[in-house]
Amino acid sequence: MKEGLGFVMGVNLIIWCGIAFYLFVLDRKVKRLEASAEDQGKN
Amino acid sequence: MIYKTLLAIWMAVIIVASFLFTEAATGFPGETSRILFFHVPQAWVATLSFLISMIGSAVYLAKRTVKADYVALSAAELGFLFCVLATVTGSIFAKVTWGSFWNWDPRETSIVILLMIYGAYFALRSAVSDPERSRVFAGVYSILAFVTVPFLVFVVPRITTSLHPENTMNPANPGMDPKTLKVFLGSLLAYTALYVWMLRLRIRILRLEGLRVRDLFRESDNK
Repeated sequence: MKEGLGFVMGVNLIIWCGIAFYLFVLDRKVKRLEASAEDQGKN
Repeated sequence: MIYKTLLAIWMAVIIVASFLFTEAATGFPGETSRILFFHVPQAWVATLSFLISMIGSAVYLAKRTVKADYVALSAAELGFLFCVLATVTGSIFAKVTWGSFWNWDPRETSIVILLMIYGAYFALRSAVSDPERSRVFAGVYSILAFVTVPFLVFVVPRITTSLHPENTMNPANPGMDPKTLKVFLGSLLAYTALYVWMLRLRIRILRLEGLRVRDLFRESDNK
């Protein structure tokens, strides 16, 4: 592998991990809000 | 949940494969040809997103269902985001290949016009205070805006001479290298799946915001 390519790949992987983590957290948060909105609708 | 986890792993595999599994194409300085695995899927997702926004707008205008407007708005937002990403990655490639971040190449110019057209879409939405009228105006505008997309993305760059590389990344070969093609198609798949995830998430958020606004109106009516 050429010099510097590993570094760029690592940066790309870190950015992707950050994006994926953010999306997973947001997904969970939205799911929780949807559940509470549904409960409010029932009451 | 499983598909999201698989997507997270798949995208990581694509990133690793685009650096380790493929060779840099000849005819481009250094390793710059590897931008193909990121820049082209971003441009593809942006075009797909603008198409979905147009379809959502048409459905809204025909049926007046708020969910269709959520789809149109979410798709326009994500299309704009991916269009910005494609512009940024493209200008990084331009700096290394042509010596300048911006060259007013037909493709660069057409993507800026596209960004301005969809920027105006958001300005229009926020300029009209009545939500119903705002949705109708935005719906009509989104359909008209999409008419320019095929022209700006496919026609303009092809009718004029452009610095932008065309359908092959390796000028020495008649087609794309099979390894490169595999990773490229994998990347297209990953970006499309990521887009679907983000679109669904954004629609759900808009729906929650809509419910919250409705509740606030109810509370104020009860008072």
